[in-house]
Amino acid sequence: MKKKFLIILFYLVAVSNYAQPDNLSIQLDYATNLYNNNQFFDAITEYKRLIFFDLSKKSHFKAYFQIGKCYKAGAKLDDAIKYFALAEMNSNTDDERLKSKIEIVRCNILRKTTTRAHQLLDGLESSAFSKEIRDSIYYWRGWTYMFEDKWQSASDSFAKINPYHELKILCDRVEKDKVSVTFATVISYILPGAGQIYTGNYLSGLLSLGWNIVSAYLTIKSFNADRVFDGFAILTLLWQRFYRGNIQNAEQFALEKNIGIANNTLIYLQNQFKGIKP
Amino acid sequence: MLSRFLIITFILLLQSSCNFAQTDWVKWNAQEVSYTIDDQVKPNKTAVNQTFPLTVVSFFRNLYGLFISDLDGDNCPFYPSCSNFFVQSVGEAGLIKGSLMFSDRFLRDLNLLKGKNQYPLYKIGKFYDPPYNYTLSQEKIIYQIPGKVID
Amino acid sequence: MKGFLINNKFLFCIYFLFLLPIVLYSQNYIDQQNLFSPESRLKFGSYLYSEEDYLRASVEFREYLKYVDNDTVRFKFATCFYKIGRFQEAADNFKGLFTSRNLQQESKLAYYKSVFFQKNYSLFRISFNNEFHIPWDYKDEIKRLYYISFFFDNSVLPDTNNFFSSFPDSNKSVIKQFYFRKKFPEYKNPTTAALLSGLIPGLGKIYVGEITDGFTSLLVTGVLTFLAIDNFKHNHNFRGWLFAGLGAYFYGGNIYGSAAAAQIFNAGVKFNFDSDVRLYFEKRNYLLPEIKL
Repeated sequence: MKKKFLIILFYLVAVSNYAQPDNLSIQLDYATNLYNNNQFFDAITEYKRLIFFDLSKKSHFKAYFQIGKCYKAGAKLDDAIKYFALAEMNSNTDDERLKSKIEIVRCNILRKTTTRAHQLLDGLESSAFSKEIRDSIYYWRGWTYMFEDKWQSASDSFAKINPYHELKILCDRVEKDKVSVTFATVISYILPGAGQIYTGNYLSGLLSLGWNIVSAYLTIKSFNADRVFDGFAILTLLWQRFYRGNIQNAEQFALEKNIGIANNTLIYLQNQFKGIKP
Repeated sequence: MLSRFLIITFILLLQSSCNFAQTDWVKWNAQEVSYTIDDQVKPNKTAVNQTFPLTVVSFFRNLYGLFISDLDGDNCPFYPSCSNFFVQSVGEAGLIKGSLMFSDRFLRDLNLLKGKNQYPLYKIGKFYDPPYNYTLSQEKIIYQIPGKVID
Repeated sequence: MKGFLINNKFLFCIYFLFLLPIVLYSQNYIDQQNLFSPESRLKFGSYLYSEEDYLRASVEFREYLKYVDNDTVRFKFATCFYKIGRFQEAADNFKGLFTSRNLQQESKLAYYKSVFFQKNYSLFRISFNNEFHIPWDYKDEIKRLYYISFFFDNSVLPDTNNFFSSFPDSNKSVIKQFYFRKKFPEYKNPTTAALLSGLIPGLGKIYVGEITDGFTSLLVTGVLTFLAIDNFKHNHNFRGWLFAGLGAYFYGGNIYGSAAAAQIFNAGVKFNFDSDVRLYFEKRNYLLPEIKL
């Protein structure tokens, strides 16, 4: 009888205590719910609460990582990187460590601190993880090059994953569509207006050519008529001005066109691309 | 061992910067980071209240831009450029006052010895010289330190 | 008892091996059970406060104060608003502590600081002059703040006797400099600048300190005037009128520009004074003590 009584007592105590909900996991669920509902500021508060009360540090990695994601969603990339680094410090497995490092790379890409992103990717490449995550390294390096406006390098990087990679084809198309700034400048030296026509600014190119022809004619006519002062005045105030302007415009239009092409692609990547983005 | 040391140093640096974190003193919402490359030069033309003199001046400025100014290169050391300054001045202060403001600006442009001890700098390397400082209304003046770079 | 233990040693082993740790473990769980209890909110809020995450800390303190009335927490709650620049809310909350037993003086000091940093200098001075809840322990500090406020707006400066005597000797020389800079600013008169430029083109700009601009104005109007006269002399009337018109235009522009340059100069004088004063006092925490709780 006593034995039965003690066994029943033991059972009741054990069950009653184990039946208590784990409040830290409830807190984690609550914070994650806020995150899923895009209430990032409040989610950070609840993750911080979890970190504060979780003395065993079991959920620290998850909480820090999620805080990093919240800051990233709020475009507060400096804070995001800080918390991903803290997540890395509190990681328990190689997978978690890697996940944090990749997130830091992604934040650096978004923040356009691409030099840092390259450094981190170099670190990953030379690390013990490199074989498993090789494709991931190439992928994010490609994105880094795209944000640096280096489309050929990006194409080469994506090609290492797959020669027919979607992003490789995209980068090749961008590189093909771009105009050569050097070529535009050089042909403008030879024929005023040519560089502007090459970049698609036909009216500007024709007007520039016209002004150069007119000022050249007036200059030569002045010198021929021994009106040297007039000749020099027209040369410096007119011809030189429009000739220099033609070269500046050719370079500027070429750069603007290239920026336009790059930006159109980046807008597509931001809004319509279905793959993993930074 | 070295990587752990680097991580610890990095974290200590982060912790020290934590103490000065001011991001969360105002509640914020989700925001997307733009992928696009910044175009350094903002549009030079800004519209003010449209009046008849302003419309006429803008029209001639656009003609001047199309046939001359957009073709002879970037010659003005100021931001906004002199022609845009004229348009904005007329918009701010009317035709007569705007013309006088432009006249003064032209004289200052002819000064070959002007420098960054006189004007703040716009981010593209030009002297920042907005028309609202020259309307003879003390309240409208926004003083900027000479040499300081304005965004 | 001995018999009971010997007969039931198996059951007691079970107890000590399994039951006791469960009881101890669950005891630990009970302590942490409610993360949103007032005590938990206070602990978490204090942690956030120490991390300078003041907005979140204020939310935790507010929830705590719904259940527990604690002056120290109420003070910290108000300080959160002060720290993040919401001075009106800070002032309103510090007012609620004027009847506090322990923090009366500190809350009154903090209230005056909040009103001051709200840039409501007239309210600050009215409160001080009417001795509205002056913290007597900090009366000298408030009095200094009262005089400092005159540097930040356009009110008439009080006389020098009381003004300078309120400050410690180490600061007096700088305060005197600020006082006289405020009272007698080195402004340039736009009308004088315009008249000087009317007399000699460019002279108004030189008066304002824009020497190279002044000489340029003089040169341009001079050259245009010369060209006008020269062309009229040689009966080139059209060119004469053209250059005369341009000359007159730039002459008018030079007068206008001199007046505008004087106004910009004055704006610079005021800006530099305001920056110098603000920097000086910010470095010294406005000569106020740090309130430690």
